[in-house]
Amino acid sequence: MSRADETVWEVFARKEYEEPLHHVGTVTEEDEDLAVVCARAIYDEQPWIEMILVPRPAIRQAIHA
Amino acid sequence: MTTTARTDPATATMLSLIGSLADNKSALGRRYGEWAVSAPTIESAVAAAAMAQDELGHARSTYPVLAKLGVTREEDALESGHPLRVIEHELPDWPSFIAANLIVDGILTTFVASARESSIEPLAQRARKILQEEGAHRRHAEAWARRLAQAGGADRELLLRRIAEMWADAARWPGPPDDPGYRDAVAKGMVSEGPAAVRDRVRKWLTELLDAQGVEVRLQEPANWSGWDEEHRR
Repeated sequence: MSRADETVWEVFARKEYEEPLHHVGTVTEEDEDLAVVCARAIYDEQPWIEMILVPRPAIRQAIHA
Repeated sequence: MTTTARTDPATATMLSLIGSLADNKSALGRRYGEWAVSAPTIESAVAAAAMAQDELGHARSTYPVLAKLGVTREEDALESGHPLRVIEHELPDWPSFIAANLIVDGILTTFVASARESSIEPLAQRARKILQEEGAHRRHAEAWARRLAQAGGADRELLLRRIAEMWADAARWPGPPDDPGYRDAVAKGMVSEGPAAVRDRVRKWLTELLDAQGVEVRLQEPANWSGWDEEHRR
């Protein structure tokens, strides 16, 4: 199964409301629901209170050194 | 082997449902776990492992409900039990995994949802916890069903064949539509709806899911109840 066309999702999470979301990794999935299920399964090492996924194509680079 | 005190038809039906629910969740956990190293993508392999862990946890938390109802099971049910025949052995291909995820997990979870407000309080407590985790299983099943349906060709054909096989076995699990013990259990608030309603919910969900992909699926009401094993629900 070729995965070349699938979306890479950047995964962000936090453990406390007082702390900002920080980058914890990526998942590669075309389907949005599968991306969510897989991110929760893969990055379950911490008791997160929030986890969000951002499709990499939606990211805009402001600075690139 | 199971030891039960003499009891009324409603409680006897619930004991059968709860024991079989635990047996099937245990078997489903093992079947999911076997695909944790061989799913089509690493992401779904990890998801399969997580779902296996969930199902085994649900089984372990459900068996004690039997004890609270006065039933003693002598065997280590995580290794034995009497699950549905379609999940007794290793699933042969990924569409089988997805069909089990859709149909077996779907039927069991729909039953659990009917016990969310059960008058059997230990069952109601576990039902609420199980339902929290089953949302992810449903999303996994739906997403892969869409993917395999959209793939068309052999992938879609095999998925439909596996769904038909799973349905033929798992749709019998809730039991005959006119089961008097189940009817009494509903009347006593042990569950909110009967076997036909459980099947109807799964049928409607799955029919709509696949219809949206342009795939027609017919999930018939089981007609032949000869040989029905009320204790093991198969």
